[in-house]
Parts: sequence; structure tokens; C-alpha cells
Amino acid sequence: MMRIPFRVVFEQRGETPRRLSLLVPIASVLAALCFGAIFLLATGYSPIDTYSNMFRDGFASFNGITDTLALSTVLICTGISAAFAFQMNLYNIGGEGQLYLGLIGGAWAGIALGDHLPTLIMVPIVLLCGALAGAAWIFVPALVRSRLGTSEIVSTLLLTYIAASLIKHVIYTPGSFFRNPNTSFPQGRMVADSASLDSFGSSRLYPTFFVALIIAGALYWVVRRTEFGYRIKVISDSPRAAHYAGINARRTTMWVMLISGALSGLAGAMLIVGPYGKIEPSIITLGYGYAGIVVAALARNNLGLIIVSGILFSGLRVGGNNLQVTTSTPIHIGVMLQGAILLFALGGEAFRRYHIHVVRTHVAPAKKALS
Amino acid sequence: MSTTSHEVAQGPHHNSGAAPTALSAHSIDKKFPGVLANDSVDFDVRAGEVHTLLGENGAGKSTLAAVLCGLYQPDAGYLMRNGKRINLSSPRAGLHHGIAMVHQHFRLVERFTVSENVILGSRDLPFRLNRRELNEKVAAVAESYGLPIEPDATVGDLSVGQRQRVEIVKALYQGAEILLLDEPTAVLVPTEVEKLFENVHAMTAAGKSIVFISHKLGEVVEISDRVTVLRNGRVTGHVSGRGTADTKELARLMVGRDIELNAQRATHATGHEVLQIRNLSLSINNVSVLNDISFNVHAGEMVGIAGVAGNGQRELADTIAGLVSPTTGSVTISGAMTTDCGPIQAREVGLAYVPEDRLGMGLVPSMSILDNLLLTRDRQTVVDRVSVRPEAARLIEQFEIKANGPDHLARKLSGGNAQKVLLARELSGGRGATKLLVVCSPTRGLDVGAIETVRRLLNDARSAGQAILLISEDLDEVLSLSDRVLVLYRGAVVHETPGETAQLSQVGAAMAGLASDGHA
Repeated sequence: MMRIPFRVVFEQRGETPRRLSLLVPIASVLAALCFGAIFLLATGYSPIDTYSNMFRDGFASFNGITDTLALSTVLICTGISAAFAFQMNLYNIGGEGQLYLGLIGGAWAGIALGDHLPTLIMVPIVLLCGALAGAAWIFVPALVRSRLGTSEIVSTLLLTYIAASLIKHVIYTPGSFFRNPNTSFPQGRMVADSASLDSFGSSRLYPTFFVALIIAGALYWVVRRTEFGYRIKVISDSPRAAHYAGINARRTTMWVMLISGALSGLAGAMLIVGPYGKIEPSIITLGYGYAGIVVAALARNNLGLIIVSGILFSGLRVGGNNLQVTTSTPIHIGVMLQGAILLFALGGEAFRRYHIHVVRTHVAPAKKALS
Repeated sequence: MSTTSHEVAQGPHHNSGAAPTALSAHSIDKKFPGVLANDSVDFDVRAGEVHTLLGENGAGKSTLAAVLCGLYQPDAGYLMRNGKRINLSSPRAGLHHGIAMVHQHFRLVERFTVSENVILGSRDLPFRLNRRELNEKVAAVAESYGLPIEPDATVGDLSVGQRQRVEIVKALYQGAEILLLDEPTAVLVPTEVEKLFENVHAMTAAGKSIVFISHKLGEVVEISDRVTVLRNGRVTGHVSGRGTADTKELARLMVGRDIELNAQRATHATGHEVLQIRNLSLSINNVSVLNDISFNVHAGEMVGIAGVAGNGQRELADTIAGLVSPTTGSVTISGAMTTDCGPIQAREVGLAYVPEDRLGMGLVPSMSILDNLLLTRDRQTVVDRVSVRPEAARLIEQFEIKANGPDHLARKLSGGNAQKVLLARELSGGRGATKLLVVCSPTRGLDVGAIETVRRLLNDARSAGQAILLISEDLDEVLSLSDRVLVLYRGAVVHETPGETAQLSQVGAAMAGLASDGHA
């Protein structure tokens, strides 16, 4: 009987060496780039040119880096939204839909309140309304999850499709409150001037970027230092210990999911006070909410690392999108690379968790020297 | 090459001299990250004998057993079967050579019948099973060793002792000549242990070899023809001859020093009633789990609850701790009714609870010792770890916890140290001064040194006037520590006796449900 003389053995690591925690993500990105290179070569593009273009357009030019940071504003928020729930094993994958609701909630405040309040008050109100709308969108999934244990994965995902239809409804229905009444072409009604921020100089970067950073920092602190964060940690690690200690898991579940929904809603509202100023129906094709899941996964749900992974991922996306403009490389190469990076990053987890080595099978019994 | 460092042992009494060595291990080394689990270990077992591997947890006996059955490959050293060198690349290869392991945690499919479990893993099954024939074959194998089992019974319906029998029959059916029994008595009641020992004798009489793995001295002396003692991965001694070994001597070889695990009881009169349980009943999904239980525990008294696992012990503890609301009846701690009040209120009036499941219920594995100390305490909105840190450091020192400091993660603690952390937290008071301590299986899985410490801590707590409810499946522990012993069977207290005069046979019978009611 023929046998393969080698065998791959996965041995669980007691502890991940520190250098691996750093090495594995970098190696994952490199592996994904190599993977992408195969397809670039197969379709007749130079991988080196493509990648250097992507890097320049994503990070190494003024427009590139500001666009990257602008996009990361949204992705950091949706990323924290996902990570905040994921860390408690609550898989809110409906950040996309909550973001749409944030857009609607923010636009509603920005239109309905009119041009009466100063920007300094108006903008926070718009952001708050967006966050509340996002939280409202996850309220029912959170309620049934915490009371009945209904899978939040299914409920939040399905609600995303409803949210997408809602966006279409408020824009394409003639006479809709959110539709611009002055054009026959269906588009969103602009919010009041006081609900719009100015971007920095000639860039497309808005001050909301710093709001995203502050929120990431604040939640990081909440998780690490507060009783609320302590409860989250106990429940996520061992629900039985939480029960033992009298921690109310239902209430905590409810709050974590509502906060997660609010953060995605906030991301939507940031688009209202920033680049959009209105409901932009093309939002349903951009997948910013889903991208948040990728950002969270790359950061391994660490709220501190979300900022880094959010910016990196945004850069990749901005660079990838510009490929088509600058080099006529299909945009899908960029999209494919994003997917490859996620896959390789998740696959790389195996190297962090297991010591993988190849052993020879059917070895002659080891001889022990008598000394 | 073969270094026969072991003494020249006499053959087993009933088969003296003639029996050839069935399986031997020579200079086995097995390393794991940070530990040398087996260090140049020699071991052999003859046909028709019981050879016991004795040692504390972590002494390397399970590792050696895993090497013997092909689960692990040794880093150095080799095995010989009937005088021929063999190389076991997997448990299947072990089975091929007639070596089978009966694991402590059974590897059975609960939804399958006994026969289906027995043939599980066989590779030469016909496409269509002839069940009748199969059942007959399984029954025949079982009966020839005095192991009565019903081939058609579903394993999920069987008792623990019966399941163990299924595992043994499975090994025999697969043609095992050498059976490795890993802590087989850990899960059995005394009557079942007797039955198991009868089976073992039947098997050795038929020429099978038994490698018996245990850390319980009494039974080791009773069952073994030879004993090999391991400590820290090394062989520290051999004893031959059934019934001749001295438990003191074995304990010394096992631990490396003299130990004292003798009974200690309350030295002074017990005080007022701290825990009062009245007519406590609990049904889960219409299945009665606790049935009309009433008893008291006084200050300075330790009451032991004996019973086979799954007779309501965990539910009783959880109900007292406020984690479960009873269907009827009441729990009163220090004069305050805590029924239906939840764990926090129960703790406020003086409850401390050491659950059976240390890592996962009592402790949060991914948290530090410091954070775990906070688990049952009053935490501020912003958790104040700075002021708790010195106390954590003090408790680590006081309870002799082997850790790098308060930030040491709970999951990286050994079983004994995890238990000490749990005890440290529960004994040091949290929301209120501890008046009642409920402890479940406090020494399970601990090595002898840690057992000594834990028992001393419990004794100290009792001397300090705390009321202690000790719930344990380790009957020896309950009998040697408790001032009063209650036996729980099918959710009811079926026997009550003072600890000092408790009879092992009576308590054992009560645990098996054969009690004449011992209530006064």
C-alpha cells in the first residue's frame, strides 16, 4: 500500500508568540498580493505597475491619502459597529442596513429642522438622529436575540434588504419627503446648510474623521475600563460564569446590539453631514456596512486596531477604484484583492493558533543513544 | 539497549512465573512544550496480570498510557509486543497489535445502541448489517467476561457504569489483549467498582493484560499484581504482589514526601443555623430534579452531600446559590430568605459558592486573576483595578498560588491553582462577610499536595465559624471531612448519618439507591 510519506500536523499553541501576531497579518497581505498577481499576469497586466499605482493612489498622494481617510471615516464606524458586537459573539452582519437607516434618520433631521440652528448644534443632532435610526433598525433583532435566542445573523441580514428597499422607496416615490422636489430626475433632497460640514481645503476629507477616531478611542476605553466592558468580557467568554456572578446577560446583549446598530447608523449620518448632504441612492451598491465586517475581522475585533485596519482597507479600496481611471485595469481586480486579503487574513489565523509542522510518517523507531 | 532498571519482580500470584511479557516500553521519552512528561520510563505488562500506573495528576501516567496505545509517538524509546519491536503510528495501529484504551471520558455515541457503538470504527463491515447476528456476537463477548449488557439498549439510556462496560466490551470485541483503563473508578459508585474489579479478574483469568491507571491508593492495592509509581515523568518505584503494597509507602513514592490526609472534624460545638432549606423541590421541563429536600447547616459545621454524579447535586448547589429558582420550598441564609432573589442578594447575606466547574463557571478563563477576583464583588461603573491589585497580590501569596502575579490569566493556571484562586476569592468575602460556603467537588482533579491545601483551607474556614456545605462525588472526601453526611439519590436525601460513625457500606448502598432510610 502506497502512503504519502509526509503528514501535516496541527498542534495547538498555548500562547501566540508576539512576533507572529505582527508577522501573520503582514504575510497575509503579501500572500493576497501574490495571489492577485497570478490573475493580473493571466489577464496581461503587470502586477508591479498595478500595485505601485494602487499604493500611490491610495496612500502616497494628497488626493489619495485624503480620500482614503475620508472613506475610512465611514469604515471605522461600521468596523467598530461590527467588532463591538462580534466581541460578545453577537454577529450583527446587518450594519449595511443600519447604515441606510442612519442616512434616512440623518437626512430627516437635516431637512425637517430647517436652517434655524447653528452648525455646531445642528450637526450633532443629525448625527444623533442617524445613530438612533440605526439603533431602531436593530431593536427587534436585539430584542428577540436577547429574549428568545433568535439568530441575529439571519434577522439583521434580512433587515438589510428591507432597508435597501426603504432607500429606494424614499427616493423613487414621487412626492417623497426625502426626494428633491425640484428635479424630475429622482435624487435626494439636500439637507439644510447648517447641517453640512465643510471639507478640509480642496480635499474630500471631513471633520467627522476625528469624530470616528474619538468614538473608537472612547469605546476602547469603555471595553477595557468600565463595568459595562467587564460584563461584556465575562459574557462573551463564559456565559455560565456570568450567570454565576449574577450578571444580566439579556440586558447587556440588548445594549451591545443597540450600540452596534447606532454606530452603523452614525456612519450613515456622517455621510449626510459630510460628502453627500442628501440621501444618495447609490449607497446601496457600495457595501460600506459589509466592509465594516472585513475591517473588524482584519483587526480581530480589537477596537484599538480598527483604526489601523479601517485606514488600510480604505486605502486599498481607493487605490483599487482609481486603477480603472488611471490604468484602465478592471476595477474588479481591486475588489478581488480585497476579498483575497480577507481570506488570507482569516486563513492566517491558523498559523497564529496552531504550530504547524510537517512530519515524516513511517519513520524508523528513533534510536536513543545510551550514554 | 534495554535497561532493566526495575527490580526483578515476582509474577502475579495466580499465574506465577510463567506468564510472558505481553507489552513493554523501553526508555520512553515524551516532551511537551515546557514539560518532560515521560523521562526514560520503562514499563512492562505480562499476560494475565494487572499492572497499575500510579501517580498524581501530571505525573505522566496518562502520557505513558497514550504512548502505549499509539495515541502519542514517543520522542525516544520504543515498544515491544511479545518480544518484537513495534511502532504504533496511531491508536488503530495499537488496536492492530491488540492494545486498546478505555478512556476516562467515554467515547460513545449516545444515540447509537450498544452494538452500534461496539462496531463503530470497524473497517470491514458488510454493506448491510445483520443486526441479530451482530447483537449475538456482542452479547457473547460481553458474557464471556461477566459483563452483562443489552446489545439493543441505547447508550444514552445507560448508567455510567454500564457505559464503561460498553467501552470495555468494545475493546474486547475489537480483539484487545491489553486493556488500558484510564481512571476507570473515578465515575463509579462503590458497588460498581466491585463489579468492575470482578470483570477485571475475569479478563485476567482469560489471559488478558490490564494496565490500570489510577491515583486512588486503596483500590490500587486491592486490584494490582504490580504497581509502578510515576512522579514528574519518572518512575519512582515498583511494588509487586497483590494486596501487599502499603498505602503509606505508595503515597510517599507518589508525592515524594509523607502526607497527611486524615480525617479532621469540627473541634468545637457548632453554632446557630446559617443555612436552612425547607421542602425544596425543583422540576426542570417537568422532570423532578430535587425532591422535597430539607436540612440545616450550622455555623462551624461541615455537612457533606454524597451521591453519584447527576443525582441533583449541581442543581441543589445552584438553587442555594440563587442561580436557579426552586419550584417549591425555600432557602434561608443567615435568617434572610434568599429564594428567588438571585445570586447577588444571596452573596450579600453571606453566601460564597465554589462551583464544580472551575474554569468556565467559577472563573472566566480569558481573564486575569485580578479580574476574576472582581467577578463576585461589587464593581464601580469604572472598574477600579488599582485598589484591588495589592489585595490580589496578597491572596496569591497567602493561598500559595503559583502565578506570575495578579495579571496571570486564569486559563493558564493549573487545576490546583485555579481552585485556589476560586477559594481565595470565595473565602475572602465579596459583597458581604462569608457565612456560608457551598463547595462542589473541591479537590477533583487536583494532585495530592493541592488536595492537602484545599482541605486545610476548608478546615480553617470551618474553625473560623463558617458553615460549609461540601458536595462531592469523592466519597472518601465526604466521609473524612464532614461532620454530617447526607446522601442524595434521585434528587432526594435518602440517608443521613454523623460523619464520625458513617459506614462506607451503608453510604455506598444509599448512593446506589438501595437505602433503608437512614433518617431518624
